[in-house]
Amino acid sequence: MTDVECLRVERRERLGRGGSRAARRGGRVPAVIYGDREPPVAVSVDLAELARAIGAGGFTNRLHDVELAGQRYRVLPREVQYHPVSDLPIHVDFFRLGAGARVTIRVPTVFINEGQSPGLKRGGVLNVVRHEIEVRCPADAIPERIVIDLAGVDIGGSIHISSVALPPNVTPTIARDFTVASIATPTAHREEMAAAAAAAAAAAAAQVEAPEGAEAPAAEAKKPEAAKKEG
Amino acid sequence: MLQPKRTQYRKAHKGRIHGNTSSCAQLNFGAFGLKVLDPGRLTARQLEACRRAVTRHMKRSGRVWLRVFPDLPITKKPTEVRMGKGKGTVELWAARIKPGRIIVEVDGVSRQIAEEAFARGAAKLPFRTRVVARTGEGARA
Repeated sequence: MTDVECLRVERRERLGRGGSRAARRGGRVPAVIYGDREPPVAVSVDLAELARAIGAGGFTNRLHDVELAGQRYRVLPREVQYHPVSDLPIHVDFFRLGAGARVTIRVPTVFINEGQSPGLKRGGVLNVVRHEIEVRCPADAIPERIVIDLAGVDIGGSIHISSVALPPNVTPTIARDFTVASIATPTAHREEMAAAAAAAAAAAAAQVEAPEGAEAPAAEAKKPEAAKKEG
Repeated sequence: MLQPKRTQYRKAHKGRIHGNTSSCAQLNFGAFGLKVLDPGRLTARQLEACRRAVTRHMKRSGRVWLRVFPDLPITKKPTEVRMGKGKGTVELWAARIKPGRIIVEVDGVSRQIAEEAFARGAAKLPFRTRVVARTGEGARA
């Protein structure tokens, strides 16, 4: 958390649905600044400026300065609401931070060393259980990302939070040792295994049924059924 | 094809589709998703065709999530039957889709493969669609 971006905001006089819609028609996004035991302030942000800040990535994980009538507040964007169809931001919550504040925040996970994972090399699929991990940390030291190392993880293996190196003063809010990601069997491989198991079961059944010395019937009869279903 | 295992009532009213979706508008599982831009009904056959097209293009690698379930029974009267004598029999299952709904999500493939797969899947759907992707950290190239 080195650089802090500055967003210029304006006070919003008209509140409620009508005022918010009027702000959006004017190319601005309604927002609110609250927290730090001070009364909330209704503001609006320029849409283009906000879209640029959001597009840079990690918007809700970075501290921002908002400038309101010459006064600067240190804030953390707590929530961005998006329009369901256009995906444009329609409202932002800015959480005002005091000195020494600690925050609960969701930090994105980033996976490295995919090439060194034997499971992924063999065609396994990385199943991300948690794209974000909720942690508690000082507001001045919010990690940008949590790096997960996939080296040495095979098909069927999983990575738990206990094996992830977290920065100091950062603790996950979930107390148990939860799964962050796993490497799942690919669909094609699963079907091959199912077909092989079905063939083996058919062969075993044929051996039980057939008397000694008699020829076992071909096990191929059951194969097409197993191969029929597509992934 | 997808359909409920059991239902409380055999037949449903036709209903109307108003407004935009209030849920399933953001990616929840995968890195890429297919967002619907028009309202309408999505039948189980269309959904299955879309899923197959996406899965086949991804060469059965990666992972696919369907985020809709066709739980609406659609009835139809037989041909050349006069009106009246009660509601027809259930012919198919569908889901009511509002604009903004993400119906399929994928992960474990590149952006190019996902976009190509969604283009093929979208051709099976009766809506205009758009591909959406995660941004910032955790996004895939």
